[in-house]
Amino acid sequence: MALATSVVDELRRIVGRESVIDSANDLRIFERDASIEGAVPDAVVLAATTEEVAGVIKVAAKHHIPVVPRGAGTGLSGGAVTIRGGIALQVTRMRRIEVDPVAQTAVVEPGVVNQELSLVAASHGLFYAPDPSSQKACTIGGNAAENSGGPHCLYYGVTTNHVLGMEVVLADGSVHWVSGDAPDRVGLDLCGVLVGSEGTLCAITKIKVRLLRIPQSVATLLAAFPTIETASHAVSAVIARGIVPAALEMMDHMTVGAVEAHYHAGYPVDAGAVLLVEVDGIAESTRELMAAIRKVLEENEGYALREAETPAERELLWAGRKGAIGALGRIKPNYYLHDGVVPRSRLPQVLSAVGEIGEHYKLPVANVFHAGDGNLHPNILFDLRDREVLPQVEGAGEEMLRAVVELGGALSGEHGIGLEKSAFMPWVYSPDDLDAMQRVKRVFDVDGILNPGKIFPDPSRKHVHLAGRTGLAVEAKWW
Amino acid sequence: MVTAAVVEKPSTAEELARRLHQAAESGSAVVPVGGGKAAGMGGPPLRCDVELHTTGLDRVLEHSQADMVVSVEAGITLETLQAELGKAGQFLPLDPFNSPGHTIGGLLATGWTGPLRQRFGSARDFLIGIRVALPDGHLATAGGRVVKNVSGYDLMKLHFGAMGSLGVIVAASFKVFPRPLHDITVETRNDSMEAAWDASARALELPLLPAALELFSDGRVLARFFGSPDAVNRMVSELGWKQAEASAWGEHSRRAPESWARIAVPRNELRGVLSGLPAGAQWWASPGIGIAHWMFDGDSEKVRSARVAAEAAHGSLVLMGARPDVTRELGAWGTPPTTLELMRRIKHAFDPEGILNPGRFVV
Repeated sequence: MALATSVVDELRRIVGRESVIDSANDLRIFERDASIEGAVPDAVVLAATTEEVAGVIKVAAKHHIPVVPRGAGTGLSGGAVTIRGGIALQVTRMRRIEVDPVAQTAVVEPGVVNQELSLVAASHGLFYAPDPSSQKACTIGGNAAENSGGPHCLYYGVTTNHVLGMEVVLADGSVHWVSGDAPDRVGLDLCGVLVGSEGTLCAITKIKVRLLRIPQSVATLLAAFPTIETASHAVSAVIARGIVPAALEMMDHMTVGAVEAHYHAGYPVDAGAVLLVEVDGIAESTRELMAAIRKVLEENEGYALREAETPAERELLWAGRKGAIGALGRIKPNYYLHDGVVPRSRLPQVLSAVGEIGEHYKLPVANVFHAGDGNLHPNILFDLRDREVLPQVEGAGEEMLRAVVELGGALSGEHGIGLEKSAFMPWVYSPDDLDAMQRVKRVFDVDGILNPGKIFPDPSRKHVHLAGRTGLAVEAKWW
Repeated sequence: MVTAAVVEKPSTAEELARRLHQAAESGSAVVPVGGGKAAGMGGPPLRCDVELHTTGLDRVLEHSQADMVVSVEAGITLETLQAELGKAGQFLPLDPFNSPGHTIGGLLATGWTGPLRQRFGSARDFLIGIRVALPDGHLATAGGRVVKNVSGYDLMKLHFGAMGSLGVIVAASFKVFPRPLHDITVETRNDSMEAAWDASARALELPLLPAALELFSDGRVLARFFGSPDAVNRMVSELGWKQAEASAWGEHSRRAPESWARIAVPRNELRGVLSGLPAGAQWWASPGIGIAHWMFDGDSEKVRSARVAAEAAHGSLVLMGARPDVTRELGAWGTPPTTLELMRRIKHAFDPEGILNPGRFVV
């Protein structure tokens, strides 16, 4: 539904005529993020300052119009989709970076691209640790909203562990700083709750992050395994040896084939699975740790171990990993990617369930994921031009998530619940659990204008296929 | 005026939730109690009708060694939990002061940390799931038992450091860590504070950061390195400090002053703020974090001016323990945050009658 002309005029008075998009053709560009489902916004507002964000939200609040903050639109759970219409609040013009090399922190605006921050910080010998695979495109604002992860979060932690404070705009248009410079702020940890709140509690306008010193020495190893199962055991064995690598990633046979065809990085295409292992620190520690890791991998049927000998070789190995999902386009044009997390020791079980589900639905499934964290990324590959296939794809995805939950896992490790998984929240949380979250939502956004239709189940909208198996999957097991 | 309280010590989470609900229904003020090790922290309770002890909830619910995840009830002591984890060569990197005897629930509610925060962060960083009894009698869970999770709001953060003002923590899950391959403690004693600050700065510039680094007001600096043996040994030889007993850390964690305050400022401001303390002030600090603990004498005027300095540096000075008259005069927490109104609304959403720990926290 188009916004009233008077509302569009109000928005234009705040951000300028050119910065409000309301023509049907242009709006379609903002229909999607990187998930399956889309919805065209009624208007897109390109905000350039905190004051503009606050002004736009005040207008939205006055007229009860939904507002969905949006960064690069690389999200995988539908977080940036305007499912109830309204305003897509585009923040990619907000991209200032201020690095404080003495305090080893940076204040960035939400439209700053993740990798850009590390590139700027590098001139001070610093880097920003969370590194989603989409880091060349995704924004820090989106990362903070979704509490994003990445391969190196195994050792370094996810976004919430690196955000020191934020400037946010609440649903009434008021602007606040939450946490900030010093450790152990006084009062409730609002910042901790707002990180990962998926745009449903606030719009983020500045983020203060911790930067780390670039390690002196990095060692990266690629190892082949006969099967996913043997590779999974090797992952557990490394951790059980008391070693937490910086990153510990797995790719299955199908992924390796696509990646090698695309990047020619020397990935062993005959392998059932490969592990990409990285340790960092000083030369002594990387040498010792890598020697220990090699031994564990070989004891667990690892073969064709290959350590990157130059930074260029390391880059290429990582390009293959981070570009893996793009490379899968060689097999099918579309993918549907889930993000469940299981206790690490359950990896073999959940991966065999994922394989069976793919076979049952006759859909190719490629696995490329953060094995060290137990964070799966099964990519269901399909062709959207085949109209019949979409319900099959969604059904398979749902069954895979169900398998994750039944093994004591979580619905999402780093992509967020958003639109696509909101119907499954009752699988992991009781009505009382969800009520506690709803209380927080009502405190921040009593009228429900901020990113409505996300996180919480909306029974009117999405049919859960596994109807007979709804209800808490882990009931009474938690405690 | 605080009157003698009824003491309740439930042995299950459900029973605790029921007791809490009963208290709420009758408008009784509830003070949750764990090990009682942080009893001096916060404002004096305005009322205390029921002391709700968590020490009856002291089980390890599940320790999945291969996954390096542990779930415990809130009343278990840190030492009991460490002993359990130690059997598997694992540990929780928490080493709070005024040990032993802290309960896990108490540590989460107060947010206390120790020297190992330098390497591992605070419990905020490795708390992965929580279960809380609410005044309406419900038990609400957030997070889970996996190390990475963005399913719904991170309510772990809301209860961490909230002094039991929103609910009573009954259980928690943590990511745990493998014992370090190598663990060495070194120290240096300096004639001047100038030299001591420089020594600690040098240790914090090493390519392999210390796992813990503590600076003391008598010029001593204590550092601990975790990692592979060659790497740790190289750091130790680069520093050139003399090796110390690992037991130094246990002694350090047993510090339990009667009157003390926590100063938390951006780490590059810590030196300036501490040098402004009265001559002869006794304190210890984590310069890599920006936190110091100051054992002050009874003089509230000096604490007041130290708080002014800490707050001017965008930080805080919080009383960890003090004579009641000093706490009443100065307030436990200092200038309230600008988002106080929002915090009050969250408090109201969970504890509308205000029966949880009234007067103790900022909300």
